[in-house]
Amino acid sequence: MPSFVMYLVHTLFPHDVLRPTELGADVMIIATGVIIFYVLTKQKKWLYLWREWLTTVDHKKIGIMYLIAALAMLFRGGVDALMLRTNLALPSTPVIDALEYNQVFTTHGTIMIFFMAMPFIFALFNVAVPLMIGARDVAFPRINAMSFWLFAFGALLLNISFVIGGSPDAGWTAYPPYTGPMFNPGPGENYFFLSLLIAGIGTTMTGINFLVTVLRMRAPGMTLMKMPMFIWSALTTSALIIFAFPPLTVALAMSLFDRIFGSSFFTLGHGGLAMMYVNLFWLFGHPEVYIVVLPVFGIFSEVVATFSQKALFGYSVMVISIVSIMVLAYGTWVHHFFTMGAGPGVNAFFGLSTMLIAIPTGVKIFNWIFTMWGGRIQMTVAMLYQMAFIPTFVIGGATGILLATVPADYQLHNTYFLIAHFHNVLIGGTLFGLLSGLYYWWPKMFGHKLDERQGKWAFWLFFWGFWITFGPQYLLGLKGMTRRIYTYPAGFGWHTLNVISTLGAFVMGAAFVILVYNIIYSLQHGEKDLTGDPWNGRTLEWAIPSPAPEYNFARIPVVHERDAWWDMKQKGQTLAAMRPEDMRTLELPKNTPIPFLLGFAFFVVGFGMTFEWWYIVALGAIGVVATLIYSGFDYDEHKHIAAEEVLEIEAGLGRVQG
Amino acid sequence: MSQPLEFRPEAEDAVSDEGEALRFMRPHFGEEKFPWIQIWGYIGSLVLTFAALIMVVDHVLPPLALLSVILALAVGQAALQLGVFMHLRESRGLAWQIIFLGMVLLMAVGMVGMSIWIMTFKSGVS
Ligand code: HEM
Ligand SMILES: [Cu+2]
Repeated sequence: MPSFVMYLVHTLFPHDVLRPTELGADVMIIATGVIIFYVLTKQKKWLYLWREWLTTVDHKKIGIMYLIAALAMLFRGGVDALMLRTNLALPSTPVIDALEYNQVFTTHGTIMIFFMAMPFIFALFNVAVPLMIGARDVAFPRINAMSFWLFAFGALLLNISFVIGGSPDAGWTAYPPYTGPMFNPGPGENYFFLSLLIAGIGTTMTGINFLVTVLRMRAPGMTLMKMPMFIWSALTTSALIIFAFPPLTVALAMSLFDRIFGSSFFTLGHGGLAMMYVNLFWLFGHPEVYIVVLPVFGIFSEVVATFSQKALFGYSVMVISIVSIMVLAYGTWVHHFFTMGAGPGVNAFFGLSTMLIAIPTGVKIFNWIFTMWGGRIQMTVAMLYQMAFIPTFVIGGATGILLATVPADYQLHNTYFLIAHFHNVLIGGTLFGLLSGLYYWWPKMFGHKLDERQGKWAFWLFFWGFWITFGPQYLLGLKGMTRRIYTYPAGFGWHTLNVISTLGAFVMGAAFVILVYNIIYSLQHGEKDLTGDPWNGRTLEWAIPSPAPEYNFARIPVVHERDAWWDMKQKGQTLAAMRPEDMRTLELPKNTPIPFLLGFAFFVVGFGMTFEWWYIVALGAIGVVATLIYSGFDYDEHKHIAAEEVLEIEAGLGRVQG
Repeated sequence: MSQPLEFRPEAEDAVSDEGEALRFMRPHFGEEKFPWIQIWGYIGSLVLTFAALIMVVDHVLPPLALLSVILALAVGQAALQLGVFMHLRESRGLAWQIIFLGMVLLMAVGMVGMSIWIMTFKSGVS
């Protein structure tokens, strides 16, 4: 018995989870847990939590849960980033050693892409897509909840690795052979593969769900060419997800097989082909960068039209360009491994195909500028992010073109120039866009605005912090500083620029703190949104109250023009003067614990497999199968809201005539 | 208010008997009492998967023949998934389905083909 306990302690708490940083984190996690437990118990909120949130299938609530998770992950990823930057500012006295540095940058990258950017996007999809197309929910509400819980438990699995068992340390790209068991023993990489596999199932289902939602659930009259641009971006992103995630799943699963079942898909010996992993990973990876940037193009298209008080310029050209970006995104993946040596033919082809993408992207940039041209621009926080995005993203795209020039890439590949490039597009594009969307749709989610003055502070700090951090990194890259190093010798002339970069990182840290303060402050003092249309919006989500009632639209309006709500306002129509006889009994999806239980069962499988404890895996697998079977035979998945009840709710919101 | 607002027809909106009016418009779905087709499909997909696995693990055939056989099994698997679980035969608008399937095929062939092209420079690690 004691030997068994010793084994457990050694496996779960090896050296690298007992460093001061991890122990400090342990204390914080336990303290937060205790506080949350105490508050929930004291306020008797457990049942409320279960009934209203954990079992919900309402897209608006799922969106809010995604958002909370994304902000929490932005915090964790951000703390990781500050640790990395601190080390690089102090090369002669590293704060963390090489091993920990590897673990931290791996966690940082993985979290930021998979557990920050993706859920943040899904948050906004969930919040806005059904409302914008005039739907009561997504096409498959229960599957939507399953997607969320698979993502959430996948994220949890990765997040516990650093305090239980040890973090992965092979980068967010996880190239073999370093992920093989002989070079990388311990549970870290298992955590990585399993958490991404589990979250990936959820992501794939989200892609399918939103594709079907957009294609099948639009209000009558909303033809494809009358959809808001954000809906086009949801459609194209979903299509990208459906095609991009299978190669990732395959690559992750095969790597996992190599690790725990002794196969040799990617090993150096036994006929393995390590480079095939690289090929598969980027077959996913490049579409992935567009998965995280197309939705943002959609957000900006809405924001720029709303706050210029003008219709989006060149709508049909915008549609053509977003669709061609989607298609081209599949044909460029080799630009991530030009240096693998596939030869001039292959490299030239993919260099050119990459540069081709700049054309539709450039078209979009011009259209946003022309939308602002002659418009009455309102400098809201959402709009500020849009204005900052344009120059920032142009520079990010231009450095991308530089990297796509094969001979240049041989010099710049895996240097800080690359790091600066992709942060340029990921922060200047994705993050700025998501924050813009956050400020834009916040009133719709919570019924009040975020304080604009504080928001502007956060914005300016993010903006300057970004440039102070990543501007110098371009120069460092040109000076030959490679990525993924935890220290560097004095006398290379890298120190000053690194110190500046680190300062910038702390400026962005301050911006994040202000953002959080802004949110908390506004929960109490934010300007209430009583009309449901705080920005004088153009699309249907602004036609209904904020926050939207459970059924979204008491009646679904027929759409005639592209900016449907704007058009209705022009004609003097409103959804806020319903007649009692207009009310109908509505059918809505019913809450269910199945998605949560399914996610938990998958978590058990993942945790067991990480440590290769097969009894636990079996237990979890039984749970998975049982919940799925139960779900399959659970026909009681709808509830009805009676017409009188709808009337009562609408009347309570002051939206009924007389 | 100059023009009254139109709403989606009641038949689609309300949960009442009026909803039956448009019933003939709805797609036809196979509604079996018990999902036998799915159960057989599931068993079939498992058989195909394990057949491929065992054949490779035990090297039952010379490499080229082995590759051809597992490729054939994969095509069978795809057909099974589409037919049984994606309900390909049950919907209206088959023309659309064919366009999309064609695109899917194009993408898949493109990805596989280009991957083969990319990897031709080496068949393994030197
Ligand atoms: C005109 C547009 C773009 C071009 C021409 C371009 C080009 C490139 C090239 C050639 C590389 C590989 C560099 C190397 O490894 O040596 C690269 C890396 C990268 N790009 Fe872009 N890119 C563009 C837009 C974007 C966008 C929109 C995003 C994300 C939102 C993005 C994210 C990334 C990431 C994450 C990497 C590096 C991944 C890694 O190695 O860890 N890029 N880009
Ligand atoms: Cu790329």
